Amino acid sequence: MRSITHIALPLAASLLTACIGGSHTTAALSTPAPTLNTLALTVDTGPAAAPGAINHAYVTVKVCAAGSQTCATIDHVLLDTGSNGLRLVHSVLSGFGVTLNAETDAQGNAVEECLSFSGGQTWGPVALADVTLAGESAKVPVQVMDDTGVSAPPPATCGANGTLINAVSGFDANGVLGVGVFAQDCGAACVAAATPLPLYYGCTAAGVCTAENLPLTDQVTNPVAMFAADNNGIVIELPNLQNANGDATVQGTLIFGIATQTDNALPAAGLTVLGADANGDFTAVYNGGTTVLPALIDSGTDSYGFNDPTIAVCGSGAFVGYYCPAVAPLSVSAVNTGVGAYNSSSTIAFAIADPNTFVANAAAFIDLAGGGGATNFIWGMPFFYGRNVYIGIDQHVAGIYTGPYYAY
Amino acid sequence: MFHAPVTRAFWLVVLGITSLGANPARAALGGDAASVLADGAELHGSVYAATLPLYDLQEITADSGMHVRQYLNRDGVVFAVSWTGPVPPNLQHLLGAHYAAYTAALAALNHPGLHRSVRVASADLVVESGGHLRAYGGRAYLPLAVPAGVPTAELR
Repeated sequence: MRSITHIALPLAASLLTACIGGSHTTAALSTPAPTLNTLALTVDTGPAAAPGAINHAYVTVKVCAAGSQTCATIDHVLLDTGSNGLRLVHSVLSGFGVTLNAETDAQGNAVEECLSFSGGQTWGPVALADVTLAGESAKVPVQVMDDTGVSAPPPATCGANGTLINAVSGFDANGVLGVGVFAQDCGAACVAAATPLPLYYGCTAAGVCTAENLPLTDQVTNPVAMFAADNNGIVIELPNLQNANGDATVQGTLIFGIATQTDNALPAAGLTVLGADANGDFTAVYNGGTTVLPALIDSGTDSYGFNDPTIAVCGSGAFVGYYCPAVAPLSVSAVNTGVGAYNSSSTIAFAIADPNTFVANAAAFIDLAGGGGATNFIWGMPFFYGRNVYIGIDQHVAGIYTGPYYAY
Repeated sequence: MFHAPVTRAFWLVVLGITSLGANPARAALGGDAASVLADGAELHGSVYAATLPLYDLQEITADSGMHVRQYLNRDGVVFAVSWTGPVPPNLQHLLGAHYAAYTAALAALNHPGLHRSVRVASADLVVESGGHLRAYGGRAYLPLAVPAGVPTAELR
């Protein structure tokens, strides 16, 4: 509700002025300037230190050690709707002379985190920082991905799900900005578990790390949820691509807030709203099948991710592991269904290209699908091209909708 | 159907190298029922067992909300494992002697990055891993050890 009260005044003032003056042109002059809530979103080949990224949408983030004027403005931070909270590579921060000191737990030990992706895990301290995105800011715990080994070393179990990914080259990014449907990355499951999840660790000065519970306020937090205004979600706007075989770069917009300003209004018609469950998933059924899969709209994954054993997987070239249909483009579809109050269904038809026909050195590809597993369905970056995607944060209200939800 | 002979050949080589390595004491995939119990203890979980017509199923439920299922064929070999949970299980333990082949196959993929759904497959080993914090899921199986008549769709 906080977001509603914050926007109500300027909106009312605007309407009033429009009525009295009888002209829309005077409204802007008499209305307090709204908070700048848009950030440029760029799809390109990535930071200079790790060129060759594909379907990575980047933003620039300003981060300061909490309460200080020691700040870094970091470009090529990957926008990720599949996680929550800001994570920055240590060597990038130190390149700006910024040191973020680990927060401490009740025992005075440094808090570190081991977060799993499908192909690996990232490790490093959790630190309080002042994060500024466009005209919005928040003081939140962030993770420092320790590529330089300055913090306590990870426990043996961190890295036991693949490789340890901490460097710019691992993400093709200087950091990851998680702007999913939750305020905290773990949430209640990490607060009072009888056996703490192997996610947050307390690390002694001697470098011995033990899994522990952590209060919500100390967990890595989606900065959007902590903004003073425009904190109920985001809108991601990316245009259609120009070329089926790849565009060199794409420019879009990340907008903070949903239905809080004139630039993030919910459309009056034609909007599909999919409620998410306690994990942040809705469901999808692929290509007329019977298996109901947990599904996610995920800007952090560069491709559509699902399992279809009838489609060949690329075994050579620059796209090993992605789908290489024998006859391309291959037309397929999936039906999304929301969970809970917003349980409508929506059929999405899409195509899978042969990525070996893609232009070398391009950054954006619209019909790219990966050989995913049979346990989930991922609407990765190709889904975003040509759509406005709304991500509604848990327990936050926007118009008639309460998060968590996805809409497009 | 598949026109990926290069990759398949590569993975077969990797598996060959792996098989020269010593088996960890606690193997799960490819291991025996005792390895299941060891994993149950590691997860602080309770173990539920069922005998089905073509295989035995053992399910570990941990207080963390993690579920791990292990499928044993009539030779007593774990031919498949699957998992769901707020965090992933320790795949190094769960995949046992096959873990090295899994990581080698991951390394052979282009752009694995943040992918929230990955699949690596060879004639001997299939691993599917996906999800995100709060909801991970996946499975792994040994195609050559799956009992005849058991569809892989059932292994979840």
